[in-house]
Amino acid sequence: MAYRVLIVDDSPAMRTFVRRVIDLSGFELSQCFEASNGGEALDVLRTEWVDAILTDINMPEMDGQEFLRRLSQDELLRSIPAIVISTDATAHRIASMASLGARGYVTKPFLPETLRAELERTLGVPCE
Amino acid sequence: MNENLLRQALQDSVNEVLEKMFFVETQGECAEPCEDLPADEIAAELTFEGEPPGALLLRLTWEAARQIAADFLGIDEGEVSSVQTSEVVRELANMICGSVLSRVEGASAFHLAAPRIVPPAAEMAASLSHTRYCVRLSNGRLTVDIGT
Repeated sequence: MAYRVLIVDDSPAMRTFVRRVIDLSGFELSQCFEASNGGEALDVLRTEWVDAILTDINMPEMDGQEFLRRLSQDELLRSIPAIVISTDATAHRIASMASLGARGYVTKPFLPETLRAELERTLGVPCE
Repeated sequence: MNENLLRQALQDSVNEVLEKMFFVETQGECAEPCEDLPADEIAAELTFEGEPPGALLLRLTWEAARQIAADFLGIDEGEVSSVQTSEVVRELANMICGSVLSRVEGASAFHLAAPRIVPPAAEMAASLSHTRYCVRLSNGRLTVDIGT
């Protein structure tokens, strides 16, 4: 099965890298959408359904925390699993994002297989 | 902050970030003192809030920066624009800083400001006590100063 994923990060380079790492990991993508902040991501989600969201935290205009808060308040969108990708590996931040509804957390730097494993875990993909 | 702990965290973070995210292996630490910084460099700086607050300054020779950007983006070095190189250098600074602070401030909260490109001759604020780590790359050099 191939999945539709939304990557939310204010750095175009990081969005390109995440997309590339997903491809390198062997995780099957049918479509990949991009947004540079939480507001843009919500705009994408008004017109496109995705299976999973990968989001940064520190972004201008609407950061990852506010984005997750808005997702959790939306009856339709709250079911989409969101995984945070961040340099911040502190227990405080991980717990804070989980309390806002994040279903997964990947700390930079990461290996392709780490991202794939987290995507598969949150999507409930059976182990091979 | 314990300087030895900070230096070890800086060294581990630089090596891990370069290897995992940029597919780059370092060629060993530059001999101390590393004061003869080359002129052909790109530099990025970011400040952070936390306990303690501080700043990180990253310098990278242009040739190494272009190669790292190409590897990160998965394109040929000749296709990398200076804008893309700047973006990747900012991202590299962000990742190294986040990794260092997660190692030394694992139990407390911190906040990173957005990295910005600064003149290569930029200096860390004199009020900050800083730690430097400088490594050779196959085609250049990377220097990181972190001050608290």
